[in-house]
Amino acid sequence: MGFLSPWFLGGLAALGVPVFVHLLRKHVTTPRPVSSLMFFERGTQSSTRHRRLRYLLLFALRFALVLLAVVAFANPFVRRASADANARLLLIVVDNSFSMRAGTRFADAKQQALATLAAKPPAQKAQIMALGGQLEVLTQPTADESQLHAALQSVEPGDGHANFGELGRYLRTMTETVRSPIDLHLFGDMQRTAMPANFADMVMPASVKLVLHPVAQGAAPPNWTVESVNAPAELSDPKDPRRSHVQAVIAGFGTPAATKPVSLVVNGKAIATKKVDIPANGRATVEFAPLDVAYGFNRCEVRIDSGNGGSDALPADDASVFTVRRSDPERVLFVHAANDTRSALYFGAALDSAAHASFVLQSVAAEQATDLDPSKFAFVVLSDATALPSIFEHALEAYVAKGGNVLIALGTSAAHRERIPLWGGDARDLHDYARDEGAATVGQVDFSYPALEQAQPGRDNGGWAAVKVFYATAVDPAQARVAARLADGTPLLLEKQVGEGRILLLTSGLDNLTNDLPLHPVFVAFVDRTARYLSGSEQRSGARLVDSFVQLRAATASAGVAGSVEVIDPDGRRPLSLSEARSAQSVRLTRAGFYQIHFANGRDAVIGVNPDRRESDLESMAPDLLQLWSGSSAGGTEQTASSAPDQSKYRNVNLWWYVMLLALIAAVAETALASGYMGTQREEV
Amino acid sequence: MQRFLDPEVLAGISSLDLLAKTVVDGFVAGLHRSPDFGFSQEFAEYRAYTPGDDLRHVDWNLFARTERCYLKRYRGETNSQLTVLLDASNSMQFTSGPPMKMDYARFIAASLFYLAIRNQRDAAGLIVFDDEVRDYIRPSTRPGQLARLFAGLERAEPRARTDFAKPLRHFQNFLHRRGIAIVISDFYESPETIVHTIAPLRFQGNEVVLFHILDPQEIRPAMKGPAILIDLETDQKIEVVPDYMKTTYRVKVDAHIEELRSRTLAAGMDYQLLVTDQPLDTALREYLTLRQEGN
Repeated sequence: MGFLSPWFLGGLAALGVPVFVHLLRKHVTTPRPVSSLMFFERGTQSSTRHRRLRYLLLFALRFALVLLAVVAFANPFVRRASADANARLLLIVVDNSFSMRAGTRFADAKQQALATLAAKPPAQKAQIMALGGQLEVLTQPTADESQLHAALQSVEPGDGHANFGELGRYLRTMTETVRSPIDLHLFGDMQRTAMPANFADMVMPASVKLVLHPVAQGAAPPNWTVESVNAPAELSDPKDPRRSHVQAVIAGFGTPAATKPVSLVVNGKAIATKKVDIPANGRATVEFAPLDVAYGFNRCEVRIDSGNGGSDALPADDASVFTVRRSDPERVLFVHAANDTRSALYFGAALDSAAHASFVLQSVAAEQATDLDPSKFAFVVLSDATALPSIFEHALEAYVAKGGNVLIALGTSAAHRERIPLWGGDARDLHDYARDEGAATVGQVDFSYPALEQAQPGRDNGGWAAVKVFYATAVDPAQARVAARLADGTPLLLEKQVGEGRILLLTSGLDNLTNDLPLHPVFVAFVDRTARYLSGSEQRSGARLVDSFVQLRAATASAGVAGSVEVIDPDGRRPLSLSEARSAQSVRLTRAGFYQIHFANGRDAVIGVNPDRRESDLESMAPDLLQLWSGSSAGGTEQTASSAPDQSKYRNVNLWWYVMLLALIAAVAETALASGYMGTQREEV
Repeated sequence: MQRFLDPEVLAGISSLDLLAKTVVDGFVAGLHRSPDFGFSQEFAEYRAYTPGDDLRHVDWNLFARTERCYLKRYRGETNSQLTVLLDASNSMQFTSGPPMKMDYARFIAASLFYLAIRNQRDAAGLIVFDDEVRDYIRPSTRPGQLARLFAGLERAEPRARTDFAKPLRHFQNFLHRRGIAIVISDFYESPETIVHTIAPLRFQGNEVVLFHILDPQEIRPAMKGPAILIDLETDQKIEVVPDYMKTTYRVKVDAHIEELRSRTLAAGMDYQLLVTDQPLDTALREYLTLRQEGN
């Protein structure tokens, strides 16, 4: 115990006041009359006995009152060791991202975490988390050693990409509900690529004490990886030199110049091997052509063979998987108005020139579409066909409800018929820009939308800036996603989910009468991406990153109406339960390898999933950056790690409040007692 | 009826007449019939006639048969003279609670007077003294005597200090006839002096009783701490400690009482210690006993 303001203890001299009042004050006695003094003798007691304390209880209360007040001002405190340690939450976070597979990193991290858990006081609460592709909370705060131990033991290295920013955000949210201070022990390789773009995202709140336990020491070990693979997801003709080839980029991190054999493996069989000269700490490209694959889904892999150079630090990233689906060209039904002949021409030309598309356009006038079955087509295009045969329209509605996709382009005919088939809304107005001011330009383009997707759109609005629109139909965008707008705000491209399917609505036409889009290069890309998006080929094969999501059913479809989905992960297990299979909208791809998916609309897919290649760069964060993050001002992170638990064992518990409470009680008791002594007694009659 | 004799109850009665009546009636009603204290015309004895005796008391029947003149005496006709000597010094006003010693003495005197005059038809007189004789009412059985005695008691306010030697010199002048002399005082004087001063009354054939009036606090004083005591008569102050009061003082008081009792009895007088929290019947019983013995 100590005092934060020991100078106030000088006030203990005030203890003399009650002593004086009770002990040293001269006694005032009233002479008592007696009949005679003949039997009395004069007597004087000794000072000690004579000055005996009167009102001992009152004196004790007054003494205690003064003493407690002085002590309270001196601000006493005690150092509580165990209680403080117990009050802090021990949060153990183990990095199980893909890079932790390198060497003994994960084993070391787990061992250190177990040691930290074993060293904690038995009464202290702890919580276990795993930081992989997402922060996984394995236990609630508990003091149950066995539960914590089991949770820690259950952590296995994953394929995700860690992000310290996500950890910081979670801790900031957590501290809003958890009031107790937190000791966060992070065990991992402190990979540099796990840092968020903004350092502030990974800064911990004030009540969190971050203790870093880096398991990767020294310089990063050399590591080669298949950084990217460019291969067709759909292939109809293996002999087609434009489409039937695989291009892979081999990258080295912290590596010397080397020659590596790279193989293309299809369905477990290496069909081609090439030697690649990789510069020091650089990249090299290798191409395999033709890609001879069988019909159906082909599980392909570009792999760096270990060869005579031996494996690198992270062998798991030496291969990149992808799926190529070989099928016959799919047919696309193009329904156009009788007087619209240019649209099919432009759209068909664009579809043919698209590199990866494997579609055959079947053009038909609206009046002749009565007997057509839309389900036999990859998707349907309605070009300025606002007047459809009712049978065909009903067939289209059923087609969309079951998962079919339709692109509707509104030409000049929309002005004559207000109703837009399938869309469910009416055309409110027709903007004739050619008559008013010449032409309208495209203002906003959502480049994240699959049909308009561009990774890095140019300054010309991704090529859309030069497009001139002469006619556009005003449509109510309610319940629809607007992917592009004209400069005056009129929606140009909208998407609406109907049943399991989706409808794209282009409020202008596909010919060069309503706009000059077909004359611009962006039209080819637009048609290509739209075709792939609407046919679903993009979703059914190819490659994805770990922790990406795959949509299993339409968001608007209610569970039970549509069929159940089925997902089989690379290990052959079904990550979805039966109830989830009937209701889940999407699934997260958590493991690297091939996923087999049966969608709600009846289609099947095989998707290759690869870890994020940022995990292949094994370089750790700079020590000064680690120090800055952990907030330690002295010593390295190791020192912080070793000394932090000792410092956190003690906490000063302030006692002045309790002392003041006792003083208040003493004051009240003293008042009551003194009133009892001084009060006049009522005379009994 | 015992409650009518409780000093605390009596202290609330302002009229001495009523007080005395209450005490005596209550006392008498509580008595058992006794041959010693009869009030009827019960025969007591024959006594030879001596010149001067009242001829009405001569038993003429006996004279006719025997030619001897005898007087026939009855118990109810025995007469005595009661004289109360009341100490009215300042020390008598000490009290630790009602009644005051002086009041208690007055109650006793008034009750005795009432009993003597109304019930026994005795002559009763009063001498009030402190360091001198302050008041004297001659013993008499005349009508109005009781009222005069009560008035004398009312006038007897405590003052001055006690000095037995000086007033008692005059007592003998007042007490011509044999009777009962009751001295009521707290007797703060040496027993030797007291007995030496009062004893002459006994020599004249009086039955002398000393009623020693003390407050309970004077016998067993309670003191929590040291205190300064002031003498009511001399105004002298003295500081006294509780230990002394608990030990030596009590021994001295007990010794004083015992010595006074023994010396009094040795001198042929009677002694009665009356504490002011005791009922008054002790004093009345003592008087009747003495009166019976005196006859």
